[in-house]
Amino acid sequence: MPGPALSRVHGLFLSLVPSLEVEETLERLQSQKGVQGIMVANTEGIPIKSTMDDPTTARYAKLTCNLKARSTVHTSDPQNDFTFLRIRSKKNEIMVAPDKDYFLIVIQNPTESATLWAPSVIT
Amino acid sequence: MLREAQGQRSRCSAPARGAGRGAVPMATRVRPWRLGPAGSAGAEKLATGGAASAEGPGRPGPLQDETLGVASVPSRWRDAQGFRGETKSCQTASVATADAASQARKRADAEVQTEAPGPGVLPAPRHDSARLAAFLRRVEATVVRELNRNWRSHAFDGFSVNWTEPQCTVTCLHTLGYPPAQGQGLHVTSVSWNTTGSVVACAYGRLDDGDWSTLKSFVCAWNLDRRGLSPRQPSAVVEVPSAVMCLAFHPTQPSHVAGGLYSGEVLVWDLSRPEDPLLWCTGLTDDTHTDPVYQVVWLPEPRHSHHFRVLSVATDGKVLLWQGVGAGQLQLTEGFALVVQQLPRNTKLKKPPRGETEVGTTAVAFSSFDPSLFVLGTEGGFPLKCSLAAEEAALTRMPSSVPLRAPAQFTFSPHGGPVYSVSCSPFHRNLFLSAGTDGHVHLYSMLQAQPLTSLRLSPKYLFAVRWSPVRPLVFAAASGEGDVQLFDLQKSSQKPTVSIKQTQDGSPVYCLEFNRQQTQLLAAGDAQGTVKVWQLSSEFTEQGPRETEDLEQLAEEVAT
Repeated sequence: MPGPALSRVHGLFLSLVPSLEVEETLERLQSQKGVQGIMVANTEGIPIKSTMDDPTTARYAKLTCNLKARSTVHTSDPQNDFTFLRIRSKKNEIMVAPDKDYFLIVIQNPTESATLWAPSVIT
Repeated sequence: MLREAQGQRSRCSAPARGAGRGAVPMATRVRPWRLGPAGSAGAEKLATGGAASAEGPGRPGPLQDETLGVASVPSRWRDAQGFRGETKSCQTASVATADAASQARKRADAEVQTEAPGPGVLPAPRHDSARLAAFLRRVEATVVRELNRNWRSHAFDGFSVNWTEPQCTVTCLHTLGYPPAQGQGLHVTSVSWNTTGSVVACAYGRLDDGDWSTLKSFVCAWNLDRRGLSPRQPSAVVEVPSAVMCLAFHPTQPSHVAGGLYSGEVLVWDLSRPEDPLLWCTGLTDDTHTDPVYQVVWLPEPRHSHHFRVLSVATDGKVLLWQGVGAGQLQLTEGFALVVQQLPRNTKLKKPPRGETEVGTTAVAFSSFDPSLFVLGTEGGFPLKCSLAAEEAALTRMPSSVPLRAPAQFTFSPHGGPVYSVSCSPFHRNLFLSAGTDGHVHLYSMLQAQPLTSLRLSPKYLFAVRWSPVRPLVFAAASGEGDVQLFDLQKSSQKPTVSIKQTQDGSPVYCLEFNRQQTQLLAAGDAQGTVKVWQLSSEFTEQGPRETEDLEQLAEEVAT
């Protein structure tokens, strides 16, 4: 692991080449436990970067167009604002981190502790 | 009356000699009758005429017959019809006509053709990398923290939500049959759903005939979405000269269906043309199968993925690929032949009887993950893993216009009898099921010859087995005892979750198919010539959480 001074230099270098930094960040996120895919989309729902294949990306990109989370939170309390969204579904967990111009969508497949299937006996 | 008058005249003529006008009273004296005004004048004339002739040529004898003119007695009771007439005429005013001609001088021809939808291409927008990088820097820490927390969280363990009304029972939605075919004692040999999921077609034939048969049979289709669906009257019926053994709808054209006959031919019909449904046929050439075709499958062409070819499998050991060319002819493009000598030797098989070198194939299933990989079920009871890309030439003497290749790459350990049906899992690339006459269903993995598990479903034959298209751990099997058994490997791997009794007298169920669009429907055809469409309970149509992972676990745990 590079020492703090070296990582600062590294970070400085990367900030000079922003596309490299983007790629590296996405790789780091992708390597987290259980992550199935990552996507960055703009506020119109057009995907900018994605680690998943095209049909899956297109499906999740539609999520951001219809996101009413910000208006929900903001209108109920004008001092409050929407910072993070987690949607738990049957198959996986979808996390959305918003911003003024972009959305980061991460799909994760968390484990469940119990296994439901027991081996059968061969007759 | 006229004759009487003449008679009177002749008798009267003798004394009336010389008497001119006197004849009239004479005549009237003898037989008075009423005469109209015209009549008396006529009688007078006649009388004078008679008298004149009496005086004419000499003196006739005292009694002589003379012929007088005809006496006409006008009718008194029928008055002369006077009529009053007026003449009127009318004439339409003259019609004005004008002739004008026009001619388009410029023409443009344009054709429109929809193409099958290609994969959607997302536009790549321009973006500002620096701002994107800054954004990612801001959110990365939060996201990573949430990811880790989620990984360790037990908050949602065992938690599931019911979005739909759970339906508990399996019900029979429709019982469809074609009375003329049932009257001939034909069985339903195959059912197929079309690409939109609204039409179910069935093929009639007989599965217990050993001899060559010249039985006429039918292909019937019912449109289940149509109002006024009549179960005894299919929306389309095609008469076929030979028994149809298998049926498959086209993957994108809702009305095209391919069928394989007992005579070895492969035909493609268009059900939307009732007057002439036959689109393509192979005819009986050197290339066609010499044995009944037991399964047909549509395959996309390697280069043009929206054109399709038909693959047919028959017990003469050939697996043939047909392409429709113009003028209604199905032409052989590729072919494979299976001979015993070329089977992979990784499994010890029984020695075949002398003289038989072909391996009869009865079922085929293509992998959903690798389009060139397929599994063949054989009469010898052993499934074979094959590839469309195999290059080795087949050692066969069967005549063929294209070189036949040997496709088998791996032999799996056999059933106790011929395999009638194979099905590859749509959720796992290595798992497939095979069902045979020994009443067992074997679950195989492509990686090993021994089955992962073997389930005994019925003491009689099993005719069809299919994986569910929505639930990774569910499959259905059609048995010779007349029931359709649904297995849920998540609940129990020993006995079926639901056993649906299709026939009342225990006659076999020969075929079944899940509907991929309306996933709660399952069609099954039996030996009594009826097709029953079953509606499955919601537990068979909704994927439970983590089923795909359980399937993977199944594949791995049992193998070891």
